[in-house]
Amino acid sequence: MTRTLVAALLGAALLTPAAPVLAQFKPTKPIEIIVHTGPGGGADVLARFIAQAVEKEKLASVRMQVNNKSGGGGLTAMNYVVEKKGDAHAIAIFTGNWLTNPLTQAEAKVTIKDMTPVVRLVLEPAVVVVKADAPYKTLRDFIDAAKKQPGQLKQSGGSITSRDNVIRQLMMKQTGANWAFISFPGGGERIAALLGGHVNMMVIEPQEAGEHIRAGNMRVLAQIAEKPLAAFPKVPTLKEAGVDIPYVPQVRGVVAPPGIPQDAVAYYEDLFARLSKTATWRKYLEDQQFEDGFQRSAELSQFFDQFTNRMREILKDAGAKVVR
Amino acid sequence: MDVLSGLIHGFSVAVAPANLMWCFVGCFLGTVVGIMPGLGPAATIAMLLPLTFKMDPTSAIIMLAGIYYGAKYGGSTTSILLNVPGESASVVTCLDGYQMARKGRAGAALGIAAIASFIAGTVGVIALMLISPPLAKVALSFSSPEYFALMALGLAMVVLLAGKSLVKALLAMLVGLWIASIGTDLFTATSRFTFGHSELLDGVDFVIVAIGVFAVGEVLGNMEQREAPQVLPVPKGLRNLLPTVEELKACRFAFLNGSIVGFLIGVLPGAGSTIASFISYGIEKAVSKHPEKFGTGVPEGVAAPEGANNSETGGALVPMLTLGIPGSSTTAILLAALILWGLKPGPLMIQDNPNLFWGLVASMYVGNVMLLVLNIPLIPLFAQILRLPVELLYPIIFGISMVGVYSVSGSLFDVWMLSAFGLLGYLMRKLDYPSAPLILGLVLGDSMERALRQSLMMSQGELGILVSRPISAVMLGLAVLILLLPLFRRANAWRVRALEENG
Repeated sequence: MTRTLVAALLGAALLTPAAPVLAQFKPTKPIEIIVHTGPGGGADVLARFIAQAVEKEKLASVRMQVNNKSGGGGLTAMNYVVEKKGDAHAIAIFTGNWLTNPLTQAEAKVTIKDMTPVVRLVLEPAVVVVKADAPYKTLRDFIDAAKKQPGQLKQSGGSITSRDNVIRQLMMKQTGANWAFISFPGGGERIAALLGGHVNMMVIEPQEAGEHIRAGNMRVLAQIAEKPLAAFPKVPTLKEAGVDIPYVPQVRGVVAPPGIPQDAVAYYEDLFARLSKTATWRKYLEDQQFEDGFQRSAELSQFFDQFTNRMREILKDAGAKVVR
Repeated sequence: MDVLSGLIHGFSVAVAPANLMWCFVGCFLGTVVGIMPGLGPAATIAMLLPLTFKMDPTSAIIMLAGIYYGAKYGGSTTSILLNVPGESASVVTCLDGYQMARKGRAGAALGIAAIASFIAGTVGVIALMLISPPLAKVALSFSSPEYFALMALGLAMVVLLAGKSLVKALLAMLVGLWIASIGTDLFTATSRFTFGHSELLDGVDFVIVAIGVFAVGEVLGNMEQREAPQVLPVPKGLRNLLPTVEELKACRFAFLNGSIVGFLIGVLPGAGSTIASFISYGIEKAVSKHPEKFGTGVPEGVAAPEGANNSETGGALVPMLTLGIPGSSTTAILLAALILWGLKPGPLMIQDNPNLFWGLVASMYVGNVMLLVLNIPLIPLFAQILRLPVELLYPIIFGISMVGVYSVSGSLFDVWMLSAFGLLGYLMRKLDYPSAPLILGLVLGDSMERALRQSLMMSQGELGILVSRPISAVMLGLAVLILLLPLFRRANAWRVRALEENG
């Protein structure tokens, strides 16, 4: 009798971890989605889309509300997430900046490792473009030209910690070529610098470049994507163009405050797993030309470590002052 | 589609009842947002964006653009009446607008601001309609060296904004430049002067400094004077609340100057309306027959910057609509809106969506008329605010300032900074330091430093790049001329004195 009871209990205990879908956590009030940009920013648009899609597809029993915690170069939002310790009714959209920025910000008191990883959602590919009348027909042409006149060719982009510069650093290391990187605060100014002929090349989101390519103002030399993008079937990936560097995507996903119960993590993992299979979500990825980057909590935790370590090396190479 | 048929088509879109209504809604909201300090058009448009998803894109852009240019109309109201800049672009309006109000010409100043806004807004639309595509190409030839020269030209305006002492003006400007350098450096991702405060990583918001130094500083200064029962005189009678014919005549050139300067600077993706209003104010003062009266309440000093910040709107839409390149935070959000509605902003958008472009252009003519009609009757009403006794008015100004600053960020840290800058403004007033140069330094500092560093990175450290390009060489030459202006005046004064003594 006791033996069967023990066996039954054991069996139940063994079965539970295998069935996380049966988690007990149920949200009892609206879920807060924290973003680090103001309304209209990239993370904000994604958060609002998620809130709408969850409501439309009836994936959760409660509503989701976006909370814009902008300022402090993203740190205001990150601090806020950590202050919400133990609150299972709050989640946040993280971007690559959440991983990279604290590496150079001495002011950062928290990093993403202080939070609970939930899921990775999207990877944003990019394309390497030049002005349409530039002499470079392929990426090789550009790199050969850069080798011939070291430091003379220019690329426009964002800050030194931005993905544009990371790709440049990796390409320069791989090929031995050398060209300048000129920072502009806004995407508009970066494009204007390229179209005005003041810089020679830029790394840009495919959606942002699409119309300039269609109008014949820009030429695509290569795409930074794992699989060729639907919009650019004939354009080689970096690897195909002969520059074999690791894939550096712009990443977006979801984290939660530290110390939330395990069943709440499982609840959110499951919620986003179901969201990522809906037609609404598929269409969103297609429209935005994003790649599906779905990963669960355990994998995401490893991804954070790998990504941060790689970025630390690249930023050191780039001459940035790395503080942690 | 040629211009005339395009415009006729545009009006047929714009006067459709639904679009007329959305145009009015946008203009009205814009005026309200402009009047309220702190909350700007960019934040308002972003907040309203989700509501537009189900609207027709043409109606939606007509409404959102209405908020954009409507805010420029409203921005002058609190600048003139309370010395609280309602919008970053209205800081320059405080200089002469508030002084006019102190002389009992508040209504006239508001009227001139509305008329200047109307004229310049309309000129901006005409230019947007006629010369967009070629102008957008010219704007692309502007790069970092040209921006540096433009900012240097703007900074040279300090000699025109200086009061009695040029040294004090230069000191104030240097403090402004220093404040501009607070925050994360774009090029190296290192932080500067944050003293370990993560709140300072994005730099100091211009609005906080402007409201602190102008509004809070002014109130603190005035509170010391006990006798005044009423802050400002408000004359009775409607006629005294509107600008006189002489005042309007004095503004003839200012209307034109503001319209042209504002539009041209608006077209450049790296400048902005605050710079436009400073430069047109400087030009107005430089060519004036009585430059010494600027800052004491001359109507031209209101007309030029108000005109400039309104026609800047038309200019800023040029690169956004013709190239898909946003030049300001507000146009960046409008661009994001176009993408969200499923349009493809870029070089081909006008061709692909003539309805949208021409409808928008025509609605801007309609909107400017609406705003004039909306604003003129409000002037006598607003001027009554000044009848309030100081015991009520001062707390109201403090309240508006704090709520305004808090509404932008929702951070108490910013409210503390407002107090600090209020104290700075008070001390500057006490010690007779002009505050406009500080604001000028703050506005230009960041972009000027960036343009210089970008230029030097392009030329691999060769300073020659700044003078070897014609446009930048001309502008730097002008800047030097303006800097030498006080010397000429002094030499002239000396010569006159010498002649008098001889004779």
